[in-house]
Amino acid sequence: MDNVFHMHPRAAEHHQSSLDRVIPNESELTAGVRIEPGKSYGFFTDTTVCIGCKACEVACKEWNNLPADNLGLSGQSFDNTGALSANTWRHVAFVEKSGAGGVRAQEQQPFQSGWLMMSDVCKHCHHAPCMEACPTGALFKTEFDTVVVQQDICNGCGYCVPACPFGVVEVSKLDGKAHKCTLCYDRLKGGLEPACAKSCPTDSIQFGEVSDLQGRARRRVADLHARGVPQAYLYGTPGAPGATGGMSHLNAFFLLIDRPEVYNLPSAPSRPSRRVAPSLFSGLAAVAGLTLAAALLFSDAERRA
Amino acid sequence: MSVPYPVASRGPEDAPARPGSASERNMPAPGHDGSWDGPTYYGRPALKPAPFEAEVVGGYIFLAGLSGASALIATVADVTMGERAAGAVRRGRYTALLAPTIGSALLVYDLHTPERFFNMFRVAKATSPMSIGTWILVGFSGCAALTAAAQYASDRGAAPRTARAAARAASLPAAVLGAGLSTYTAALLAATSTPLWAAAPRALAVRFGASAVACGAAALWLGERDGGLARRLETLAAAALAVDLAGDAVSAIAYRRKGVAPAMAGPAGTLEKVVGTGLGAALPLALYAASRLAGRRPPALGTLAALAILVGGAAFRTSIIRAGATSAERPDVSFRFMQPDNLPD
Ligand code: SF4
Repeated sequence: MDNVFHMHPRAAEHHQSSLDRVIPNESELTAGVRIEPGKSYGFFTDTTVCIGCKACEVACKEWNNLPADNLGLSGQSFDNTGALSANTWRHVAFVEKSGAGGVRAQEQQPFQSGWLMMSDVCKHCHHAPCMEACPTGALFKTEFDTVVVQQDICNGCGYCVPACPFGVVEVSKLDGKAHKCTLCYDRLKGGLEPACAKSCPTDSIQFGEVSDLQGRARRRVADLHARGVPQAYLYGTPGAPGATGGMSHLNAFFLLIDRPEVYNLPSAPSRPSRRVAPSLFSGLAAVAGLTLAAALLFSDAERRA
Repeated sequence: MSVPYPVASRGPEDAPARPGSASERNMPAPGHDGSWDGPTYYGRPALKPAPFEAEVVGGYIFLAGLSGASALIATVADVTMGERAAGAVRRGRYTALLAPTIGSALLVYDLHTPERFFNMFRVAKATSPMSIGTWILVGFSGCAALTAAAQYASDRGAAPRTARAAARAASLPAAVLGAGLSTYTAALLAATSTPLWAAAPRALAVRFGASAVACGAAALWLGERDGGLARRLETLAAAALAVDLAGDAVSAIAYRRKGVAPAMAGPAGTLEKVVGTGLGAALPLALYAASRLAGRRPPALGTLAALAILVGGAAFRTSIIRAGATSAERPDVSFRFMQPDNLPD
């Protein structure tokens, strides 16, 4: 079945860490969910309540010890981070709707004042293209159904970079390895909610079990529709935009109120590994045909000689 | 002041050219070349281009095709013609060593942590053409090296009969793996989210395979003194080029239909058209046709055709790598490509 997640049996051999001076199962207090191996965890990012504070970006950099990226102004709204990268695993996008067409509107929309903000992150795809492409097995599925690059194995071939349909993973120029969000694998091991979700002051980023989050998200969409935001929809849940072309679903999914492209997300990504067989066999067929031609040509020469 | 951790003073990308609103783009005017005319995020890339060096990876793909096809053609000649094709067979078996030697070195060089190249041998994955290709290259290298060693021994007159039998025995698996080696690289590009590479998975593979056979035939032609065999190598190259051109036409249609054609409008696309297709396929085909019509085969023209095929083959691979990067960097191209109408059914 497409949506079932199978934990590797050996993952159970590696116990959850019990960290000194950390409340056991702290995530029960902060996110209302107990973190156990063998279940699917992810993020539900509700962009309608994002206030663009970038607490998630900062919390991520601090917890994961990530170096600073672009120390400058981009000149593009309040977005000075730019994009997800090897060193930036949360990126808050700022979309000034009222400035569309280069002209600032005189009247503000009643909802969110014409601003869209979204905290972007690795989607921890169910059928993760980056992981399927990885030739060393450095990218793997953890016991929490998240996608992580093992830094001691990655050899920096860079093949995961073009594989990702969301432009997330990147090879760092600093150490020559691929880096991306780990969904705080180390924190999950210790029973802690991921840093970005814990720091989010409006609960725009919610951490939990994927099936719970999907239910919560559907209720939120229904609620928004009832309250007069008919354009609200989910991105990355089964059958929704972002989970197209064999992608099944994204463990980190979003609630959006404009076209995906406005937030720099593709409408209909597809699973690249589905193109392996058609491509490989067409190529082999062409070569086989030409080999046959060569055999005929050469044996004709032999006959005439 | 010393900073205890590395700070990248420049971002992962250059600062954008000019500020704009989210619904605006600083790329070509909306809809002007058939790409996405809807909103983008400040014209910023939605995808990341592969961190491949075009010359290095393109060079490897070229050498892989040349070596694989040389091994294949040499084996076919050996099986069908035996002793009469001894020269071509020998050259084919030696040419097959290009991918295991220079090709592998290029691959390791392109890694960002080259000292860990051996981690490629940790796993074998059917979803990853890079993993498939690693194992094809390993198998091919072994068989091609054995074949060449046995060939060398028989050339030197060391146990000629045994050596010849060993060379032939090893050359058969080398030929099969050679077919894989010359085409898996297309699957490697197609099985990504880079729009240009993903837009025509089948046509790209047919082109890579056909172009590899043309390059192999051209390389073997270059040293061939037997007129009859040389003419047949020309015919083989011409047939392969015709398949290549057909694949080119099919992929051009797919590029236009799926909205990735604008990525071929830049310098890389021009190089592909002029050198890759024009010099590498159209010109040699014309030369072969002309010499066939004239009933004369001036060797200089044949050499020109063979060299053009080889140069064009290398340029074709390199420019596909480059144009792919362009297609990933342009949000109008990638958003157009990733619309529901382009989903595989
Ligand atoms: S969003 Fe990209 S990097 Fe994240 S799991 Fe999916 S393919 Fe991998």
